Amino acid sequence: MLVSKEDFAKYPFIIEAVDYVKSLDLKTDELSQPEFSAVVTRAETRIEEALIDGITKWESRSGYEIEILSYPVAVIFVSNIDDNYLKRRYALAEAKRVQALLKEDVDEKLIEIAISVFRWNVKSLPLEVYQPFDFSLSFIDYLRNAPGFHDYRWKLVNKRLINGNVFLQKDEFSRLISEEVRKHIEETIKTSPKVELDILLLQRIERIKQRLNLRKERIRINEQPQNIISAAYPPCIKQIYDFLISGQHISHVGRFTLTSFLLNVGMKVDKLIELYTPISDFNLRLTRYQVEHIAGVRGSGTKYTPPSCETLKTHHICPGPDDLCTNIKHPLAYYRRKIRMIRK
Amino acid sequence: MRIQRVKAMKNPREFIVQKFTEYYRENANNIALPTSYKKREFGFILFDKRVMLRHKAFVEPRFFRDFIKSITPSDVYHSAAYYKQPSRKMGKKGWIGTDLIFDIDSDHIRTPCKVEHKYWTCEGCDQAGVGKHPPVCSQCGGSKFKMVAWLCETCLETAKSEALKLIDFLVNDFGFPPQDIEVCFSGHRGYHIHIEREEIKQLDQDARKEIVDYVLGTGLKVSLHGLMEVIRRTGKKVIGPDLNDPGWGGKIARGVYDILVTYSLQQLKEINGINKNTASLIYSHRDKILKSWNNGNPWGSIKGIGIKTWEKLVETSVDNQAVSIDTVVTIDIHRLIRMPLTLHGKTGLKVISVPSKSLERLDPLRDAIAFSKGTLKVYVLAAHRFRIGEEIYGPYRKETVKLPMAAAIYLFCKRAALLTD
Repeated sequence: MLVSKEDFAKYPFIIEAVDYVKSLDLKTDELSQPEFSAVVTRAETRIEEALIDGITKWESRSGYEIEILSYPVAVIFVSNIDDNYLKRRYALAEAKRVQALLKEDVDEKLIEIAISVFRWNVKSLPLEVYQPFDFSLSFIDYLRNAPGFHDYRWKLVNKRLINGNVFLQKDEFSRLISEEVRKHIEETIKTSPKVELDILLLQRIERIKQRLNLRKERIRINEQPQNIISAAYPPCIKQIYDFLISGQHISHVGRFTLTSFLLNVGMKVDKLIELYTPISDFNLRLTRYQVEHIAGVRGSGTKYTPPSCETLKTHHICPGPDDLCTNIKHPLAYYRRKIRMIRK
Repeated sequence: MRIQRVKAMKNPREFIVQKFTEYYRENANNIALPTSYKKREFGFILFDKRVMLRHKAFVEPRFFRDFIKSITPSDVYHSAAYYKQPSRKMGKKGWIGTDLIFDIDSDHIRTPCKVEHKYWTCEGCDQAGVGKHPPVCSQCGGSKFKMVAWLCETCLETAKSEALKLIDFLVNDFGFPPQDIEVCFSGHRGYHIHIEREEIKQLDQDARKEIVDYVLGTGLKVSLHGLMEVIRRTGKKVIGPDLNDPGWGGKIARGVYDILVTYSLQQLKEINGINKNTASLIYSHRDKILKSWNNGNPWGSIKGIGIKTWEKLVETSVDNQAVSIDTVVTIDIHRLIRMPLTLHGKTGLKVISVPSKSLERLDPLRDAIAFSKGTLKVYVLAAHRFRIGEEIYGPYRKETVKLPMAAAIYLFCKRAALLTD
């Protein structure tokens, strides 16, 4: 059971910790009182650590109570600032802290969190029999988070899968839980009710906002170039494009990939339709409809992006990676990087 | 040179529609709607339209049955997905969840017989023929042709063994109880495998893609399944998975074992990345390697067969053990699938569903016959050999023959025959 204050401080999102805070029945206007200044300051540093280091620290020196209380206060701050970048970054930073703590904690704690907070179907394995594995997790729960990790060792096909259970080592299981924690915290921030804060707290929030803006300025997002540079197409797009020009058959997924890629790098709908004209089964009305659909002009209004490299491999669209493809997960990422290389 | 058509011969289209209508009039009440049918979308292809009638929903089975009786569709589908409002446009349906489905279509499997049963029909008239189509149609002078998939026993057998392989994955690796795995013969060239368990309904596309990659062996790294070179006191040594290992490890080992038992020297030489000398070395030592599988380490048993060679054998083994599924069907959470006991417009056979343990005994060309009564005289333009029921028919070339109804309708659906008086 997770009942100690230490557990609450380490994992302040668990039900018991949340209940504990509730039981204190604190009001937000009490927060500006001097006895809570340490809590509020720690909440601010939590966010600061998230912005600067990308991970919040495990701070147990000043006592577990401050750690426990500062988490919900930080959530209130982040929710109040209402900035998507900050929300994501804060949730990720807390999740990283949790991951580091889980790796060092006893197996039972990991199991307890996975079952009681996330309702995962997991068992711990007797070490001597299943070495080097520590846990077996239902593949359904495994697939909640593993597809987001890009290393090959996370692919289900590279896991030991027996009777519906994926065998995992402790560091892997910690990583999966921490990803779920990240989503859980993002959700908590999203659903956290808006509260009125008094002037003292608003001043702290202003300070955080300033830091946030500095940070955002530094990571100025690379603008998509205006001209389409075909020399920067990744091998997959190059191949489909060549097939198209030479009048060869292209699969549905192939057409979708090319169309969404070209739309995303700035090609106009009319230009794209022109491109499809030489195909033997060309039908202007249908092609226009499909292209506009992918562009988000029609139908659901969703503008599509091309599938990831992973997906292209699954559908046999990927002709095999070139040197630049290593460490790249998406055709558009290839395109942007290649353009930077060409410009240099 | 144009061939004069005998006046008495007719395009059988109306006849097919009439027979399909009869079928639905007699059998509609036996067609069970899928579970939670109120939350599913239904789709229909009609004989005179080329587009699918989609976004249909039914609140009671009798409405569905009345509907198919009144429109006589050529093909009937329902969504694998559940929606809050299945009759609304895709973006507005409100997705709830989707069954886990797999499609094994012999079109996607390389079978050696495929070149033998090429078949074409003319887009401009009702000419048809076996083999490659002529540059222009001898009857109407048109130059547009359609290649038609012929129903082939070998192809269907291959699809069935792929389906059995998939069931093995689903039971042993994924842990689904066999009784929860439903298998459908599509009525044409393949099988669908359908799982409705509650826990899989929420899986998103990324998760389904991982399942697809698992059964295809896509992205598999052999080193993560235990095949590697280790350094021992005695020098470098290759170690690898055991025949009894679960999951892909065991599949890899058993696949390599199969290769050693069944491949000829020539086949070994044809494996990508294995040169002639290595192939001969493997071939001449295969007994020793196989023996060491029972007592010791086969991967390290022969000097000269190193990690690179084993990796090539494993690649082939993975290809052999993987299941050829249509990737898109499983990943697409809005997919429509054929409904059991409805007819397939390209064959006149019905879609039939069996529990996974009965698949082995299923004979689709006998068990899926929908029109079992009567015989009919038809003029066959051209036909490869084919089996319907217990009999084998054809090949035919421009001749009038008397056939059981199911065989006649099959040829009509393929546009391979005309109606005579």
